[in-house]
Amino acid sequence: MGRHNLNTVISFEVVRTLTKRRFWIATLIVPVIIGIVIGLVSLSSASTSASVDSQKNAKFTFSYVDASGIVNPAVVKAVGGTPATDPAGAVAAVKAGKLDAFFDYPKNPAKQATKVYGVDKGIFNDGKYGSVATQILVASAQGRIGDAALTTIVQGNLNIDSTTYKDGAVSGGINGVIPPLLFLAIFYVVILLLANQMLTSTLEEKENRVTEMILTTLNPTTLVIGKVIALFIVGVVQMVVFALPVILGYLFFRSSLNLPNFDISHLTLSPGPMIVGFLLLVGGFTLFTGTLVAVGAIMPTAKEAGQIFGIMMALIFVPFYVVALVVSDPSAPIVQLFTYFPYSAPVTAMLRNGFGSLSVPESIGVIVELFVLGAVVLRIAVRLFRYGSISYTSKVSLRTVFQRQK
Amino acid sequence: MEPPTAEPLVYIDHFRMDFGKTTVIRDLSFDIRRGETFGFLGSNGSGKTTTIRALLGIYQPTAGILHIDGRPFQPEDGNRLGYLPEERGLYKKEAVIDTMTYFGRLKGLGKHAATAWSLDYLERVGLADKAKTRLDKLSGGQQQKVQLGVTIMNQPELLILDEATKGFDPVNRRLLMDIIEDQKKAGATVMMVTHQMQEAERLCDRVILLKDGAAEAYGTIPEVQDQFGGTMIRMTYSGTIPKSPHYDITSQETSYAELTLTDKTDEAVILRDLVDAGVLVRSFTTSKISLEDIFIQVYGDENSPAEDN
Repeated sequence: MGRHNLNTVISFEVVRTLTKRRFWIATLIVPVIIGIVIGLVSLSSASTSASVDSQKNAKFTFSYVDASGIVNPAVVKAVGGTPATDPAGAVAAVKAGKLDAFFDYPKNPAKQATKVYGVDKGIFNDGKYGSVATQILVASAQGRIGDAALTTIVQGNLNIDSTTYKDGAVSGGINGVIPPLLFLAIFYVVILLLANQMLTSTLEEKENRVTEMILTTLNPTTLVIGKVIALFIVGVVQMVVFALPVILGYLFFRSSLNLPNFDISHLTLSPGPMIVGFLLLVGGFTLFTGTLVAVGAIMPTAKEAGQIFGIMMALIFVPFYVVALVVSDPSAPIVQLFTYFPYSAPVTAMLRNGFGSLSVPESIGVIVELFVLGAVVLRIAVRLFRYGSISYTSKVSLRTVFQRQK
Repeated sequence: MEPPTAEPLVYIDHFRMDFGKTTVIRDLSFDIRRGETFGFLGSNGSGKTTTIRALLGIYQPTAGILHIDGRPFQPEDGNRLGYLPEERGLYKKEAVIDTMTYFGRLKGLGKHAATAWSLDYLERVGLADKAKTRLDKLSGGQQQKVQLGVTIMNQPELLILDEATKGFDPVNRRLLMDIIEDQKKAGATVMMVTHQMQEAERLCDRVILLKDGAAEAYGTIPEVQDQFGGTMIRMTYSGTIPKSPHYDITSQETSYAELTLTDKTDEAVILRDLVDAGVLVRSFTTSKISLEDIFIQVYGDENSPAEDN
């Protein structure tokens, strides 16, 4: 009977949510906006590309003076420039629009600024003056070095292939960091999408005065767990709907969107961090869900429950204020505090797990803490729903609820 | 109270309920026998709803035993119970048929059986065309009919109706009574909370009158009437009615009076005493005291028994 009722609650909650027009409007509005943005970006990329091409080919008149002696007149001549004899006259010509630009190279371009004067041709086109002035100097310097390889090295354009080891084995580096951090991303998406619904899920029974009918038909634990599972399913549907345009955009419009080519074959899936990440996700989800349901059972209306919502949301973002410390100095007292404080623990621990600074004992400690507290809070939530949801119009007194011992 | 011998369906013994420092039920004991219609009567705030909620495990009693079919109620037994609470409510944003099917399934019916039963019921109560309408689009009376349907789904053994007729017009009240009667014929035991004393007198096999968290009267209707004197005399007269240890003058106008007997004295003896005292008696009729009169006696004039209308 219990399993039958759990399935009944899950299917009722999922179906009634997914068949609501309001749900689909709210869910589809994000991917539709993303789609519109992708379309606009795609269009503007094409237009920008054409504009860059036309700028590349567009020549402009300029003159220059060179106090450094580095500039090669041949390079300047190749791009259509001429030496100036009277800097003040050249600037005046630019001001009058008779000359497009004038470059004044200082004695030491490495330390002093090269002055560029140009006719204003719009914020995007004006950039070409500085670019050309720089390219002239770079090309001239390369010519003086006389070795293409040395020039590349001087410019720092090097390919580095790193291999790092952890406990005697090759560690994944950044490719090993990304997969466990995906659990953190899922945690954020699920909580942000569903927290408000979790908060108001049991409020519906209270606001509709349907609690007594429910409590005499169904075990409250079954109802609460059924609602949580249904919300998770709804959240998965929402995530798929959100992700779909991004995936389609990446697969079919990557070049027009100028998206980088992600080679996921290089990602390293280490079992340890992946298992820890998954358990932290489930434990954190249980704790936050239980807390939100408990708050919903206490508050008489969605409006009043919403005040608590902001606090809960702040708690999952707080660890990001010390993210640099979380990554660089995991033993710092504030990081340790955030690792074990229940409502900052999931995010902090998942971050540290991703960056490899969460030790095995710490992992076990946080996971056990989250699961135990999650179970306790869910139990309290059920009790608050059982006794609190009969208080239709007033906030429930916790003391009254917990005085009623079985 | 003697321990139950005929295995009552509902058994409440020395029930006490405190909310903080407030005692809502002092000491309450009664039982409800299988197949009977039991009237749970009392003024507002007398503790009726609290007793029902404690019986159904929604409240934890401070003390006492509250059993249904020999044990405390568990939600798992919900498919054998039909409960229409005083606080009416269903999922208002959902369609009528979806809500009814949901509750039907929670009461142990299969999806198709729950839907079929619901459609039949809606046909009977004249709401067949509203099956796919959202509940909040229905009138209050129509919503009540839907809620009654949810209550009686899957042939409950025990029906607890907390002011079932509240908000119904006379036609729909009749329809509701017919439905309850059908449930009784099918073997259901009915516990009804009502302020309609005539309704209780007509339908109930036994009643309990609750006042300040304790039973003021308990038993069959004649037994309760006997507890309050049992017989009432209505008379028109001239003269002065003398005081007597055998009756109370419960109502008196210029030439009309109602006397409630306080003991088993024969009505003929009262009539002779009145005549001997010089009262000119023009008419003299006797009847059993009504539940409504008993209600007024117990709770006073400020609590009209039909005030929920």
